[in-house]
Amino acid sequence: MNSTPSEQLVLDQFEATTRGERGIGIRDRILVLPSVICSHLVADRIAEQVSEAVSAPHDHGCAQLGADNEQTERTLVGVGQNPNIAGTVVVGLGCEEVQSSEVAEALAAQDVPVDELSIQGVGGTDECIAEGEKKVRSLVKRSIGSETVDAGLGDLTVGVVSGDLRSESRSVADPLVGEFVDMVIGNGGRVVIAGTERLVPHADSVLKNTADGAQAAVKRVLERDKSRPPKDVATREAAAECSFDEITRTYGGRPIESLVEYGQPAAFDSGVALLDSPTQFEEAATGLAAAGAHLVVHVTTDGVPTGHPIVPTIKITGNESTAAALEEDIDIDATSTTADELKDFIAAVADGQRSSTERHGLSEFAITRVGPSM
Amino acid sequence: MAITFNGYRRKNGDIGVRNYVAVIPISVAASSITSKIAQQAGPWARATPHQMGTSQPSQSREQTVRVLTGIGRNPNVGAALVIELGTEDIDADALADDIATAKKPVDTVTIREEGGALETVETGIKTAESLNESISNCRRERADISELIFGVECGGSDATSGIAANPAVGNGCDRLVSGGGTACFSETPEFIGAEHILANRTVNDDVREKLLDRVDTREQMAEIMGVDLRGAQPTPGNQEGGLTTIEEKSLGAISKGGTTPVQDIIDYGEQLPRGGGLVLMDTPGYDVESVVGKVAGGAQVIAFTTGRGSTTGNPIAPVIKVTGNPKTWSSMSNNMDINASTVIQGDSLESVGERVFQTLVDVADGERTEAERRRLEEFAINEIQPVEHKLRGA
Amino acid sequence: MKGRVLQESALKMTPDDNVATVLDDIGEGFELDLDDRSIQFVEDISFGHKVALRAIDQGEMIYKYDEIIGQATQAIAPGEWVHTHNCESTRGRGDLTPEAVDEGDQK
Repeated sequence: MNSTPSEQLVLDQFEATTRGERGIGIRDRILVLPSVICSHLVADRIAEQVSEAVSAPHDHGCAQLGADNEQTERTLVGVGQNPNIAGTVVVGLGCEEVQSSEVAEALAAQDVPVDELSIQGVGGTDECIAEGEKKVRSLVKRSIGSETVDAGLGDLTVGVVSGDLRSESRSVADPLVGEFVDMVIGNGGRVVIAGTERLVPHADSVLKNTADGAQAAVKRVLERDKSRPPKDVATREAAAECSFDEITRTYGGRPIESLVEYGQPAAFDSGVALLDSPTQFEEAATGLAAAGAHLVVHVTTDGVPTGHPIVPTIKITGNESTAAALEEDIDIDATSTTADELKDFIAAVADGQRSSTERHGLSEFAITRVGPSM
Repeated sequence: MAITFNGYRRKNGDIGVRNYVAVIPISVAASSITSKIAQQAGPWARATPHQMGTSQPSQSREQTVRVLTGIGRNPNVGAALVIELGTEDIDADALADDIATAKKPVDTVTIREEGGALETVETGIKTAESLNESISNCRRERADISELIFGVECGGSDATSGIAANPAVGNGCDRLVSGGGTACFSETPEFIGAEHILANRTVNDDVREKLLDRVDTREQMAEIMGVDLRGAQPTPGNQEGGLTTIEEKSLGAISKGGTTPVQDIIDYGEQLPRGGGLVLMDTPGYDVESVVGKVAGGAQVIAFTTGRGSTTGNPIAPVIKVTGNPKTWSSMSNNMDINASTVIQGDSLESVGERVFQTLVDVADGERTEAERRRLEEFAINEIQPVEHKLRGA
Repeated sequence: MKGRVLQESALKMTPDDNVATVLDDIGEGFELDLDDRSIQFVEDISFGHKVALRAIDQGEMIYKYDEIIGQATQAIAPGEWVHTHNCESTRGRGDLTPEAVDEGDQK
């Protein structure tokens, strides 16, 4: 393991921020959320001015049809209410399909402290950056620094994405994650697992391991993906060569309790939920953040370096040379870490210790598309 | 009398209007590192961040490769730096070699070999600086206007777009075409309802058939999604601005290419010909993706008409913003370059078209647009979605 | 600019159009003189939006630039605002495909 907890923690407890109806948060930030690609640079520049702010720049929000448009809007509303976020300022252009005012209204309805503005509404990008900064600072005053509380593993929603099916991942890292997943659930927590490509060649087995209440939803997703090219070709092809056991080792032997729609906050109580999301880390992490994950565990043989603005990412590899070559970017070397050590590390991150991606600060916010750009 | 401008002559004969080191990520995994490299290296370094995955299905991957290669080959790019994680399906070295056939220096940096994200940023900056050294003594020389490829786009349209801004820009395109250059417009969904007009201006039946086929494919996308096109096209902003249907929008949109014959319609990111007259490109109407397609095709300058006030630019090609809406001109003047709303007050299209054309020459010469001043340089690649594959015969 | 400006207030692109585009925010009651008659605006119409120049039947085509820009979804009187509430597109109607219609029925 590359890092040790920064202080002696009692069992698996950590200090978290209270968020009322939204539960607890393990980070305390103001989100500057562009509703469309056209306002993402302005959102970035607003967030750069305020240390408590992060931005979530993405490439979408306009010229999208039906379900595709709904998914983008739903995802923005989903991430805007992630419990790590104290408040959100939505920034629009003004003429786009996903209107910043609608996203802001939806967030306000969820009791998220929110404000909103648009480039066209205030008369230009210069003005929007200046106004936006004021709004963010005002939200910082109102919403940052809420009461804290002692929390434990059972209070967490853990997001998991295993990025590939190389032997190092499926034989070394995934099982380690699976043990941790089992621990989280044993303590009453929730786990959301992203990445459907690997499940498609094993649909029957997957459904046998899915709770009754989730059967129809999981079946629909697997049938839909069967007749289309996958978003991650390598994972889908490798999954066809693997056994069902090999592709589900992060599940900790648990059944799928619920299917979470991409962009939708997860509404299940405990156990493992499947997120309808591709395996690509940047998109999966956004889906997990929208689902309400406090943090994301990312299994990567390749050492995909990016983090996420809203959820701290823990990078785990089962490949020793990746761990050695990318020492600063990998949090956990699965070849030499026990499940207890992993749990301790995650508790430390929940308590505020920065993960490797938070240290280098390079993050990406991508949203999965399900329709063509028009 | 020949109309000329001053541009950077490249070793392969191309002429650029800017002299950048393009920093190009192979996949989304390398994108934030790419942006960091360019941001810290200097204003001469231009990142083209995007969100394409590491293992895309073949049609989508081929399109990504075509766009990234085209961007590297754009004449405004003096040298290119390709950044990869190292395990993507797209081979960075092969892509770099392809860009290098344009006789410009190209380097590759692999994240996995550098020992980490921040180490890669450091190496990237050093490599970019050395690439910049090798192109920094490139001086502008006189070139004929016929060497320009002028891409035109409309976004945030309203009723003034079809009445003022688009016809004025179209007049500018006519001038360039008669001077021997290439004008390109795209946004295929915004031909729907007006495609018969374009079809009647195609130079031959092959082009006519291709054009109608491409429009049909775009229209079918609304059908596979089972929804009315409205909302996506026209957008809410278009509708607030008076555009009721896609037909109305399209009839106003096609005037931005001018009145000359349609020589061809090419694929997203495919190479535009020099001295090619009016050429269409099959792209989505989605602005940022559409502009990127034309820049990947070799357009050195973009004119972008807007009624509602789009503020987007591009990292590689200067974007000239033209508005035909007097309110937008006054309320968003910091983001607009040309006021075409004077047409509504009685100014002739010819005189505003002349202004557009003169601005094109000035910007080619080095004058910065408002988007350039503010470093507004949005970039995104159109991703062919799994649901589209059956439409495209994959 | 192509088309004909009427009373500095509305732009009629071609003689055969049945709508014109207003060039200013025009209030209800405004009288617009056309060659053979005049029409009265029956409601406020904003800059850039369209006014019906004559009565249009439900199902009749709306013409601008002497081209079809849509179809009337209800009868429209002269002087009425013409927009998404009474004019729909004839193109890109994925909502009218058999599958979409079925799905709509099931909801």
